[in-house]
Amino acid sequence: MSRFIRWKGLVGFFVVIALIMTFIYFFADALVKKGIEKSGEWYLGAEVNVENVEIMYAPLTLNIEGFQATDPEKPTYNLVSFSQASAGVDVWQYLFGKLYISDLTVAELRIDQPRLSAGQVFTLIDQNVENGNKGADNSVLPGLDVSLPAVDELLNNSDLLTVKQGKVLEQSYQTEKKKLQGIYETLPNKDTLADYKKQVEALTNIKINSLADLEKLNKDFTALKAQFDADQAIVKQAKEQVSTSKALLTKQTQALKEAPSADWKIIESKYQLDSVEGADFAHMLFGEQAREYFGYADAVYQKIAPLIKSSKVDKQAEKTTSEGRYIHFNDDTPLPDVLIEQAKFSLILPQGEFAISGKELTHQHWVRGNNSVVNVESDNVQGSGKLALALDFSLDKQRILSGNGIWKLSDVDLNAVSLQESSAFTLQLDSGLLSGKGTFSLLDDQLDSENSLSLDNTQYSGAGTSHLSTLFIDTVQSLKTLSLTITAKGKMTAPKLSISSPLDKQLKNSMVKQVSNKLTSFKTDVKAGLNTKLSKALGMSNDEAQSLVDVEALISQTDQALDNLINSDVVKAKKKEFEDKQKKKLEDKVKKKLGKLFG
Amino acid sequence: MLSLLAKLFNALNSESSTRQISLAIALGFIVGLSPLLTLHNIVFLFIVLFLRVNIGGFIVAWGFFKGLSYLLSPLIVNVGESLLTAESLQSMFDAFYQFSLFKLAHLHHTYTLGALVIGCLLAIPLYFISNFLIEKYRLHIKAFFEKFRIVKALKASKFYRLYCQVSGQGELS
Repeated sequence: MSRFIRWKGLVGFFVVIALIMTFIYFFADALVKKGIEKSGEWYLGAEVNVENVEIMYAPLTLNIEGFQATDPEKPTYNLVSFSQASAGVDVWQYLFGKLYISDLTVAELRIDQPRLSAGQVFTLIDQNVENGNKGADNSVLPGLDVSLPAVDELLNNSDLLTVKQGKVLEQSYQTEKKKLQGIYETLPNKDTLADYKKQVEALTNIKINSLADLEKLNKDFTALKAQFDADQAIVKQAKEQVSTSKALLTKQTQALKEAPSADWKIIESKYQLDSVEGADFAHMLFGEQAREYFGYADAVYQKIAPLIKSSKVDKQAEKTTSEGRYIHFNDDTPLPDVLIEQAKFSLILPQGEFAISGKELTHQHWVRGNNSVVNVESDNVQGSGKLALALDFSLDKQRILSGNGIWKLSDVDLNAVSLQESSAFTLQLDSGLLSGKGTFSLLDDQLDSENSLSLDNTQYSGAGTSHLSTLFIDTVQSLKTLSLTITAKGKMTAPKLSISSPLDKQLKNSMVKQVSNKLTSFKTDVKAGLNTKLSKALGMSNDEAQSLVDVEALISQTDQALDNLINSDVVKAKKKEFEDKQKKKLEDKVKKKLGKLFG
Repeated sequence: MLSLLAKLFNALNSESSTRQISLAIALGFIVGLSPLLTLHNIVFLFIVLFLRVNIGGFIVAWGFFKGLSYLLSPLIVNVGESLLTAESLQSMFDAFYQFSLFKLAHLHHTYTLGALVIGCLLAIPLYFISNFLIEKYRLHIKAFFEKFRIVKALKASKFYRLYCQVSGQGELS
């Protein structure tokens, strides 16, 4: 038997095992510390420091102290750090190839805090990561902010329709006036008409003693009448000219009267005086902040997404890895590869201290059929604000992430929050009390979130570079309460933000009210100026119109006078008179002869 | 490294039976292919120490096959993957999986199972081949090589002095 068995070897075996155990016992802390640092650096591409690691064996508990992970984009800052973490690991499951942490506690977890010395960066992060919609939609106020022109300057603009139409009308008056003047000069004047009248009277006074006298009268009157007809033709032509001129000037006067309205429309459009109605004030003011908060969510997602994506690698690809993998079979009590049953984090941010608790944290939710649940609570957000957030999420076998959450925020004191810093204006929320609630859901990389926020007791300060922006600031300052509804839909990496609010209406009403005072004044001045121009143009033309009326009246009178003269039946009257006279004579003669006869 | 080689040559030249050395090489092969800290490696270590297996030969073989395992790892993983995912073996592995020992030995890991299976299967022919080669070495090769001037020069080297110290032979004539 001793030919095959080496009894000393048995002792050697136990010595070797004891040596291994001793090595593990004494150096495990340092090995784990190194392991955490190296694996963290491999994942992040930047220096990771761990102050101390302590392993306790009954039960197996891992204590990590002073963890700092350098932000590869800002080496003087830590991406994440914590003062102490403790994880109770199930040894048995660990030996089976599974990481089952029954209880994880992380104290004083901090994000984005400065480091004592800059950390090393091993891999450069792609700086060209799409930065959401930062800076977009900032154009509303600058558009609105075009300073209003001086009224005089505006009114002196020769492109104004009122000015143009005034000039056209004035020109037309001059042209028509000349035409009428020409005709006016050819018209028989009062003296001519008086002369005509005298001539007619003279003809009327002629004594007709014989037919020859009557014939002469007829001849003289016909000659005079021909002159009347000629004059009447001139009058008719003048009448036609007056009518044409009148129609043209009426048309142009009407166009001139309509010109100020058309001019106002052009001014309104050019200087976007109507854009106040459509301005998306809520988005303009709070869009940047909303994008920033969704940006945090995106940053977290960007860190998690590669892990989810890498776990989406198909099994064929998994086979090719040279390190192999665990294949788990049906188990009475199945466990995911990694499971944190209970976790508690104390997160310290500049905004306050947050207690985060998690349950069933894993990347293989289908194994136990439970969702991961995360709760975030704080009662010192920005002082005395309260936050409650509940989130549950799960990954299915196809590695599709789905999650739902609700949050509620109340009594958060906001101080010195910069809302806008553009060339057009700066606006800061000096103080305010923020409350809100919202829901969000995530399916794969699609986000659907609806949030409502209410801001009370607000006080703002700001400065504008133009009258309109100053007005805008004044308007915001006059609002003591604001409420917002923010929805985010679409890809997690670039959600479509929609910010609506009665604020828009409030601001619009208030803004329109205030802006409208300015606009009304501007409008009144411009319109008054336009109307003055109109009146001036019309006034000038009124004088001309009066002369036109005078000419028209004169023509009518002349026409009437000529008509009367033409219609004065001198020859006929004289003929009748002559006939009557001859008849009387004849009667007298007959009476005389008959008197002799019967007398 | 030199002392390890010296141990191997010592073993080859010593009075240890060829089977002890061959078994050491075969066991070194199994342990070398597998990840260092596995349950079956502890068992094999126990066998190496408890049975009269040439320890020097085992250590050298372990070191050599550990190096070789990096080249063979894709093959090892593929074998493990094929076995663990084979439809016909599912019920068997399901049954094994219910035993903590199976999981403790990480035999549900593709690399570990692949390494153990390849190691155990190839260890048998490797044992016989080693046996044959060692016998040949002792009979012919040793005497043949000792005729060379280079071997004579080697005997005057530091390595040979170390070899002598390990074997306890002192200076050879």
